Amino acid sequence: MSVFQHDYRPYDGPTTALWKRPLVLARYGLGEAWGSKITVGLAVLALLPCIVDLVLMYLANNPVAKMLVMRGNPLLEINEKFFLGMLETQCWFALVLAAWIAPRLVSFDLGDNALPILLSHPISRFSYVLGKFIALTLSLSYVTWIPLLVLFVYQCYASPVPWTMGHLGIAVGMFVGCAVWIVLLSFIGLAVASWVKWRVIATGAMFAVIFVPAGVGAIASTVLRTKWGMLLNFPVVMSELWQRLVGAPQLFPGRMDLPSPALVAVLIAASLACVAVLNARIRAREVVRG
Amino acid sequence: MGVIALDRLEVRLGGRTVLNGLTGELRGHAVGLLGPNGAGKSTLINTLLGFHEPSGGNAKVLGLDARTDRMRIRQSVGYMPENDSFIGNMSGVRFVRYMAELSGLPPAAALERAHEALFYVGLGEVRYRKISTYSLGMKQLIKLAQALAHGPKLLILDEPTNGLDPTARQRMVQLIKEIRKEGSMHMLISSHLLRDIDETCDEVLILKKGSIAAISNIEEERRSHRNFIEMEMTGNTEAFAEKMQALGCECARFAGGRVKVVMPDALSQRDLYVTAAETGAEIRRIQTRRDSLEDIFLRAMDYEGGRIDHVSLPA
Repeated sequence: MSVFQHDYRPYDGPTTALWKRPLVLARYGLGEAWGSKITVGLAVLALLPCIVDLVLMYLANNPVAKMLVMRGNPLLEINEKFFLGMLETQCWFALVLAAWIAPRLVSFDLGDNALPILLSHPISRFSYVLGKFIALTLSLSYVTWIPLLVLFVYQCYASPVPWTMGHLGIAVGMFVGCAVWIVLLSFIGLAVASWVKWRVIATGAMFAVIFVPAGVGAIASTVLRTKWGMLLNFPVVMSELWQRLVGAPQLFPGRMDLPSPALVAVLIAASLACVAVLNARIRAREVVRG
Repeated sequence: MGVIALDRLEVRLGGRTVLNGLTGELRGHAVGLLGPNGAGKSTLINTLLGFHEPSGGNAKVLGLDARTDRMRIRQSVGYMPENDSFIGNMSGVRFVRYMAELSGLPPAAALERAHEALFYVGLGEVRYRKISTYSLGMKQLIKLAQALAHGPKLLILDEPTNGLDPTARQRMVQLIKEIRKEGSMHMLISSHLLRDIDETCDEVLILKKGSIAAISNIEEERRSHRNFIEMEMTGNTEAFAEKMQALGCECARFAGGRVKVVMPDALSQRDLYVTAAETGAEIRRIQTRRDSLEDIFLRAMDYEGGRIDHVSLPA
């Protein structure tokens, strides 16, 4: 083919490896997600708390600033509790971002019935989901563990006393906590977006999937007088998990004493349910039974 | 080796058998896939692409097993689906580039080929517009462009003229003819429009209720019956018929002076007039008729058995 000659010529150039094809999907997915001004706006908004935290860290670590601004107030301490607060804030921003981005990654494909064409190329359904998953996790990383670890590094640098070695667990805990949350959000986001073709409704459905079971779980806990209903409450489950990972003291001691394996099990179960939804929905062709 | 080889291929979907023991080999450069609605044309295409798992038998595309070599088949195939299938939010060139990259082209080559493919199908001027703003004809063409961009060895077109107005249809048919003429790729064209297949294909596979009703080489059929002649005559048609048979023709007389003749290559139409003059018959009307795809299709639709038949003309 030639633009000028308008005739066809076969392609005999090099081709990329099969394993790189999901990265093509991820790259175009990122382009689609970040092509929206709303995405950029949300991402900027999500970084504002980090700037506030950065200022607080500066104040807490600078003796002169501490004296002038804080007037010797000892309340501001950079410890596990401080980082836990940061972690929770950023992770809830990640939920908002995921609710906006995930439908943009999948709904366009489903809405225009693009799956037959996409999957007629040498990518499998798994590769398709993997590509979208990578795009979503990278987007969410931008507002979660990346800024949090940058702030942790700053704290290590700014602390006037040896601080790093005694608090490495915070960094590991934040990273693992963010990773768990990102993976869960990505699974839920992609599953919801694959189920609901309309983007606005998919965004709403994403919040519903997180908060409606929480309400059901709270009712179940109250009516049945059991703590196990709280396992349906993703915000509580994640708060508990983050608190244990970072090693912060419990905010409300005795409120919930669910074992860690139960928390992990409910997250795995939710992820598997999302995989099942994706398996049912991401298909080149629908087969009508009967 | 055939482009597509089917060996007792059976596909069951939703608890019912959609393709039932298809066996045959397609060697044509442009193969037409014909059949009434529900005959299994799209299911066969989807099976060749690996979208459906065969429940029995085997299918090979370009020598690759449809069950185990899905990725390699898709690498070598360009597919234009029947229904709307695109990403409306993308510009034409971005969409075609995206599809080319998914087929393994490096980004720079994919961009170059996307521009070329869009110019080739006639969408060069609108390549920066969002696909959602395209007309139906343009949407068909962009599906063709993305199928061509990575330079496939086999192009599968599922109802390529579906929903097109006569001008757009003619343009699509012309494009398909050009691709066929260029000769670097095979084509499998599914359609329920006999005219489209007749104009573009040299071999046809006719499906009926999930079975092969006929595999026919259209070109050979036409070549072997190029002297099939229908006439309306008056006078001594009996003597005319006897004389023509003596010259080596197959000849049949019908009511109303109608005479059908299949002439050997050695004879020409002039011999008809000479013979008519010699036997006292008059030719009132003469029509040279080629066996049409419609004849082949209609005969295949009458077929009910389990035998694959290479359809031939009636004597």
